[in-house]
Amino acid sequence: MTENSAPSGVGRREFLKILGAGSAATAAIGCSSDRVERLIPYLTQPDETVPGVSTYYASTCRECSVGCGVLMETRDGRTFKLEGNPDHPLNRGALCARGQAAVQGLYNPDRYRGPMIRKDDKLVPATWTEALQLLSQKLGEAQSAGTAGNALFINKHESGSFPVFLDRWLADFGMPAHLSYDSLADHAVLAANRQSYGVSWPSLSFSAAKLIVSIGADFLENWGASVPQQLDFADARAKLEDAPRFVYIGPRRSLTGCNADQWIACKPGSELAIAKALAGGSVESAAEASGVPAATLESLQKELAGAGRSLVLAGGSGAGALDLALAVNALNRQLGNVGTTVLPDQPITSFEGIATDADLRAALERMRAGQVSLLMLRGVNPLFTMPRAARVPEAIRAVPFKVSFSSYPDETSELCDLVLPDHHPIESWGDAQPLAGVISLQQPGMDPVYDTRQTADVLIDLAKGNQRTAARYTAANYMRWLIENFPGGTAAFTAGLQKGITSGSLPRAAAPAHVSNAPQAPAIDDTKGDFYLVVYPSPTLGDGSGANKPWLQELPDPVTKICWQTWIEINQQTARKLGIDSGDILHVETDMGELEAPAYVYMGIQENTVAIAFGQGHTAYGRYAEGVGYNPGNLLPVSFDAASGSLAWTATRAKVTKGTTFAPLVTTEGSARQHGRGIARSIPVDELPHLEMEHEEHDMPGKPDQSYLPGLRSRMAADAMGEVGDSPSRFQKGMYDPEHWSGMAKRRWAMTIDLARCTGCSACVTACYAENNIPTVGAPYQTTHTAFLHGVPGSNILKGREMNWIRLERYWEGGEDGGEFEPRFVPMLCQHCGNAPCEPVCPVYATYHSPDGLNVQVYNRCVGTRYCSNNCPYKVRYFNWFGYGEPARPQYAWPERMNWQLNPDVTVRGKGVMEKCTFCVQRIRESEHRAKAEGREVKPDEFTTACAQACPSKAITFGDAADDEWSVARMAQDRRAYHVFHEQLNTYPAVVYLQKVTHPAPKSAAGA
Amino acid sequence: MQGIVGVFSDLDSTVDAIESLKKMRAGDITVYSPAPRHEIEHVIAKGPSPVRRFTLIGGLLGATFGYWIPIWVSDYWPLVVGGKPVPSWVPYTIISFELMVLIGSLATVLGLFVNSRFPRITMTVGYDPRFSDGEFGVWVECPPDRQREVSGTLQKFGAAEVRGEA
Amino acid sequence: MATVVSPSPDSSPNIPSANIQLPAIQSYTQVNDEIIGTLRPTGKWFAGLGFAILCMLIGATAWTYQIYMGLGVAGYTPPVMWGVYIVTFVFWVGIGHAGTLISAILYLFRAGFRTTIYRCAEAMTVFAVMTAGLFPILHLGRPWKFFYLIPYPNWRLIWPQFKSPLVWDVFAILTYLTVSATFLYIGLVPDLAAMRDREKHPVRKQIYSVLSLGWRNSDREWRHFARAYLFLAAFSTPLVLSVHSVVSFDFAMSLVPGWHATLFAPYFVAGAIFSGIGMVFTIIIPVRRWFNLKKYVTINHLDAAAKLCLFTSLVVGTAYLVEFFIGWYSGSEFEHSYWWDRVFGQWWWAAWIMLLCNCVLPLTLFSQKLRRNTTWLFMLSIFINLGMWFERFVIFEPSLSHEFEPWQWTAYAPTYIDWAILLGSFGFFSMWFLLFIKNLPIIAISEVKEIVPPPVRAPHKVEGINVSGMHLEFEPETPGERD
Repeated sequence: MTENSAPSGVGRREFLKILGAGSAATAAIGCSSDRVERLIPYLTQPDETVPGVSTYYASTCRECSVGCGVLMETRDGRTFKLEGNPDHPLNRGALCARGQAAVQGLYNPDRYRGPMIRKDDKLVPATWTEALQLLSQKLGEAQSAGTAGNALFINKHESGSFPVFLDRWLADFGMPAHLSYDSLADHAVLAANRQSYGVSWPSLSFSAAKLIVSIGADFLENWGASVPQQLDFADARAKLEDAPRFVYIGPRRSLTGCNADQWIACKPGSELAIAKALAGGSVESAAEASGVPAATLESLQKELAGAGRSLVLAGGSGAGALDLALAVNALNRQLGNVGTTVLPDQPITSFEGIATDADLRAALERMRAGQVSLLMLRGVNPLFTMPRAARVPEAIRAVPFKVSFSSYPDETSELCDLVLPDHHPIESWGDAQPLAGVISLQQPGMDPVYDTRQTADVLIDLAKGNQRTAARYTAANYMRWLIENFPGGTAAFTAGLQKGITSGSLPRAAAPAHVSNAPQAPAIDDTKGDFYLVVYPSPTLGDGSGANKPWLQELPDPVTKICWQTWIEINQQTARKLGIDSGDILHVETDMGELEAPAYVYMGIQENTVAIAFGQGHTAYGRYAEGVGYNPGNLLPVSFDAASGSLAWTATRAKVTKGTTFAPLVTTEGSARQHGRGIARSIPVDELPHLEMEHEEHDMPGKPDQSYLPGLRSRMAADAMGEVGDSPSRFQKGMYDPEHWSGMAKRRWAMTIDLARCTGCSACVTACYAENNIPTVGAPYQTTHTAFLHGVPGSNILKGREMNWIRLERYWEGGEDGGEFEPRFVPMLCQHCGNAPCEPVCPVYATYHSPDGLNVQVYNRCVGTRYCSNNCPYKVRYFNWFGYGEPARPQYAWPERMNWQLNPDVTVRGKGVMEKCTFCVQRIRESEHRAKAEGREVKPDEFTTACAQACPSKAITFGDAADDEWSVARMAQDRRAYHVFHEQLNTYPAVVYLQKVTHPAPKSAAGA
Repeated sequence: MQGIVGVFSDLDSTVDAIESLKKMRAGDITVYSPAPRHEIEHVIAKGPSPVRRFTLIGGLLGATFGYWIPIWVSDYWPLVVGGKPVPSWVPYTIISFELMVLIGSLATVLGLFVNSRFPRITMTVGYDPRFSDGEFGVWVECPPDRQREVSGTLQKFGAAEVRGEA
Repeated sequence: MATVVSPSPDSSPNIPSANIQLPAIQSYTQVNDEIIGTLRPTGKWFAGLGFAILCMLIGATAWTYQIYMGLGVAGYTPPVMWGVYIVTFVFWVGIGHAGTLISAILYLFRAGFRTTIYRCAEAMTVFAVMTAGLFPILHLGRPWKFFYLIPYPNWRLIWPQFKSPLVWDVFAILTYLTVSATFLYIGLVPDLAAMRDREKHPVRKQIYSVLSLGWRNSDREWRHFARAYLFLAAFSTPLVLSVHSVVSFDFAMSLVPGWHATLFAPYFVAGAIFSGIGMVFTIIIPVRRWFNLKKYVTINHLDAAAKLCLFTSLVVGTAYLVEFFIGWYSGSEFEHSYWWDRVFGQWWWAAWIMLLCNCVLPLTLFSQKLRRNTTWLFMLSIFINLGMWFERFVIFEPSLSHEFEPWQWTAYAPTYIDWAILLGSFGFFSMWFLLFIKNLPIIAISEVKEIVPPPVRAPHKVEGINVSGMHLEFEPETPGERD
């Protein structure tokens, strides 16, 4: 394996060739762009690009509105991995799963290859000249006819210069300012913050709080800026004794709720009453409204009052969402949290100038009324994200000419007359203003993959082509425009590009005048059915824009562990009453529509509530999204919290009936219970002081300096240590001795995973997929060839064949009887055991123990007896059941252009071989070789694995445990350290887990 | 090679004939019988078969080889698997045992071939297909001058057929 | 003449024939006529052969498809990484144990009832091991690289990892195949000579001559032959025990709960012999009827074999009990959990099929009536084959699907590919066996001759002689054969 990361550039080049599917083949197969037909298409000046050595370009993530900083790892002119930018104040090097999956959007096989024009009701490919002519002609007509004022441009919300540029451009053509739409934005909270603090999003300091109360605010998922929030939350929890206690109140225990010490189930719509009660209002009425025991509320009220610094958050979007948010802001002020845990003076500006759902609805009304002559859409898919009841298609069809700048064919662009595919953010120039005074720059990582153009450039070209506006557009393209208008000019811009961020503030587009004539959602009508319907955006797919990225589809939902599917969460006790079991098809019906999906029996949902994740059920979004799951939006009425203009996601009740059929859940979960096997351990905070460090014998013969870590050095056979049977002539002998002249055994690569930090967000899983060329196996076209599973999405996962080298196990503790339960997350990966059970059973030396403590897997040698997997107690070895890397096979995991993402440092495993976590051996060897080339030792914490690098909780630490300079060596000394299964099996794992620390309700609130 | 073959249809006459032929030192006697009979063995009274030596040597060779190969190989690539000693003799005992059986058995077969001159390309004189069916044959290798005497004896003991071969 | 009438006391008969007599066989010639007489191909036989080959082709097609597509077409559901193929592998290896047991171990133990059935059993062994040998290759992820497991010299000195039970397997199985095939052939040589001498057809005569190595029935040949045969038997005996022990190490050497048990070696050996004898019944009962060899394979032979079958069944039953007891007694959560899942959990049905077929039904063999009822024996043997296949299934799949890591617990269901290949293996085996029974004597002619009375001069001359094989009384109190 080490050969794969041989330092020679030529070697890499050969290697790239060998990855044929990746490079040479690409040129031949259906490739529309001649620029990529070279083996190494240079992106920048050749002197910057050393073949086989990665170049990192700093840029900005555009997957959601927040705008984290990313580094685009680019090799030989291809960006193949996104990593968090360590210098970025927002995400400090971390990156969520959706951000990392951006590359799969870039290389998505279903992207528009070029512009499309509707001819006899069909979108057909066209040239850019044709397309641009058509559009400018339309613009001309609009101007001459004076209907330009009726044009409408809906843009995916982003901060930075583009909105400004866009508004100017629109103004120049006599068009109204654009609508900056983000279906995930929590408009109620934004509006409330503007009222209370004058900023739309104050930064929150979790680590400053002693008590965190979240009323439906999923700050680890889609609420606000999740990555920075998660970073801070993890830091807070890592303070152990001083860590804040976290109480989550809501009808459904979301991923955020699963990280809470206490979950209080309440009826949807009763959040406001609870907030009032916490603020000192009447507990009884709140209890009555919410179905929460009064005692619980009372104790929480007391606890909050006595907590000192606390942090109360509100989320959720039903009727009265704004009142709730305002009440919570008031509560924070009343508790004196403003300035300590809520920091309006350091606002997150990513959400400034965002338009509300109500604004979009108003626009749709105008379209339907025929008042819109020209519609332009960029990056938004209202047809999918708005409830079906909003009758979006009808509205869009009512517009005479519709232009889409979407990069992918989606429900909305299918209806347009002209498609001018935009560059992917990785191919585009741009900037963002995530924080006040901080500019985050965006630059292309590579040449465009397809024949696309950045919308801004298109607009500039149009303006140049138009005699009225040409004069005002001197800049050759948008990049030039950016530089011209950049504070500090070229110098600042180029300087900023190096780090990806620079200080300064950009001109801001005028905040839109929010229309608030939206229909106010009525109080939920209890007669409509016996279940509340909660629709929540999926943590992995967001508003559904992630559904065309197989990494996100294959990434199990962090809570339910279901992927490639839509499921209906129903309370355990209720299900027991109704005789419903997980997998039984449920029929959910509202006034708006009905939906049938398998049930997921969940302890973490209020007893008369069913919840459905939003994001699946696309009808036109590429091979990975189409025909997967159902869209719960079809069940929702179009009703709003009028005051804030936010769509009411929780607005109705539903009739739920048990169907007759059964559909197995596409889940990676075997048993959700640990059966007392001590895999995921946690300890109440009050027992922490008595916790003694796990003491194990360090039976490394005779070398005290190696007994530094619980069990990390296993007993190495004496002859391998060179202590017996060694002869000077046979220098290989004894290479496992740390003192051996070759120094091969000097290091002991190890990992610690701090479960107190881990939130189970699963970003590490996607990072591993990205780094190690792990195939996704669940796509509908990847059939298992077993008759009854043919073409079923996730059929291979139903057969347990997911390839996640690192997986997040989510165990439940307690709650079988419907009482309190504790979720525990534990990332499970190859433990690189010192006494690895998998090694001695391999008949061909395909796996063995390397002197520096790695459990090595030699793909070329593996014949696929799979004995190693049988013998692995952690079950972290994964087998290539099909030719996932063979283009000729139906299971091919990287259809054309997706294969450009493959990491050239890592082989694509062939059919019939075993694979597993390698501790990112390619990174280890690369840094070792670099150090060698520079004639130095590897510096402590110089590099880390992909999972550790991406983790937005900084829960994973990797390094050389044999050297106390490395932080992993210190971490492993933690008193909370434990090994999984080591006591029973004597495996000496190299992965050390640090126990989770729980914060039970204080004794005073024992009544709760 | 010259001699006389007598065909007998019953066991005891065969045995008697052999006895007296031995007494008269007629010459080298070979007995053909459809199945091995102890009576014949006893009257012929030859020493134990040397096949066992082949077996012993083969077995010892196999056992040694079975230990040597794995130890030498794992010593050549001293890779650690599961923290076990690089050459670990305990599991190698199994290899050794199996090779002992394998090579031992093959050596035994070799011994059989060598001792009974297998494979024999041509049928030697004195053999008759009946000997594999139901009848016994006694082949006496003797010079022409004694043939009359020998065939006489054979007939005396009731040989169904007496034939001189050359 | 005294030498004839009193067998010399120091000698024990070199082919044991003490306890089972063949009253209906009177002369050597009769043996030749009747046994070699069976070797005439019939229409039924061709039909059977054709069917066997068809089944084999179905399996071959499935395998081809599997190689092209990948192992995923089979039912594997990680972490159940070993499925029907390994189950069937162990099943066939087990079958392959009865033959050598009967021909070698019973030979050393001088159990006379082996004489007429051992040739069949031995052939069955060779073919069963050939069939079994396919499966380890067939279940590989990259079958075209199977030779990595074989220690062949290469310039980089990259050899197998001799600590792996799978490599022990390679050695054990290949040794077993070689030795049992040799054993079979050596035993065949005198019979081939007999066939050669009867054969009129020049080509066939030539073939038989070559195969029979020019055997002449001379006293010297018989002497070396008996010695060699004895040593081969002496080697085969520990080999039989070792082979299935090694196979059991594939599981016992791992740490999988339900596999990691010191009991496994004897447990597997007993099971193998049990299943082998079951298969012997399945084969010998129809054959003796079709070829009407009832006077050779008498009901007494079957009766004796049935006793052996009953005994091994009891051993196997005890093994189950011990296994279950340890599951409870060990006090280990892992052991107890897997055991519960196996017997009362999702796998209960398999476990109970196993217990019924292997422990309950064979108890009927305590009744002599049933022991001597060939119809029942045949039905029972089918149950035993089924039960022993399920024994392996129950040992492997539930343990794998219920290991240490609860998050990875799973179920397992084979697909049509698995079944097709299982069918193919039976086709493969039957093809060889059918070819065997019409081309080579299925009963050892020379050994039968040893236990039939030798031709003697005249009855009155041998008054009261007790030449072995001349005791013609036929236990009158035992009931005769029932069909």
